[in-house]
Amino acid sequence: MLVLTRRPGESVMIGDDVVVTVLEVRGDVVRIGIRAPRDVQVHREEVYRELRQANQEAASPNEEAVRDLARLLQPPASES
Amino acid sequence: MSAPLTETTPSVSSPETDELPIIELVRPMPGFPGHRRFVLVRLDDAGLLYTFTSADAPELRFLVIPPLPFFPNYAPEVDSETLELLGVDDPDRLLVLLVVTVGGSAREATANLMAPILVDQVNRRAVQAVLTGSGLPVRAPLGC
Repeated sequence: MLVLTRRPGESVMIGDDVVVTVLEVRGDVVRIGIRAPRDVQVHREEVYRELRQANQEAASPNEEAVRDLARLLQPPASES
Repeated sequence: MSAPLTETTPSVSSPETDELPIIELVRPMPGFPGHRRFVLVRLDDAGLLYTFTSADAPELRFLVIPPLPFFPNYAPEVDSETLELLGVDDPDRLLVLLVVTVGGSAREATANLMAPILVDQVNRRAVQAVLTGSGLPVRAPLGC
């Protein structure tokens, strides 16, 4: 891992178009500003990981489960 | 600036349709970086259940639902950056879909309210928005 020392107001460039700026350091909390192209996702790591896991769990459910769910969702009138 | 989304009826093809319109993700879904082209297929007559299937790798598919029948009060606020990313100036053009996780059994199915898939029904660009800070759940029971 690359380790850099920065002061508040100073930045780090990642590639040509991502700028990470240290805005404020207070105790054990660091506020960071990130400027990135719109198609680059920027998330807190734990949010990204939770979302990725949720997507992976949702992906490609088996046919039986899909059929069961479709049956459950049928309007009562059409069940008879 | 943000705009509330209103519910619209999905305008998609039926499963019988041979040529389904391609929906292009402007940003891949987290966890699936290689997949950008999808098709939306309706699974039932009532329009409650759809699959969002990779056009290039059909074995990858997600079950998706329109929010309204399941979560009538769901009104995600979409920020202006997301609208710009999609090239949309009118939020009413967006179709909102929730990704469903079936898990062990259908009765335990949940929907991801924090990260809805937004589809522009005109230019067919889409994105899985991440409503950070909304407090919306990633796994909300469908309650069926």
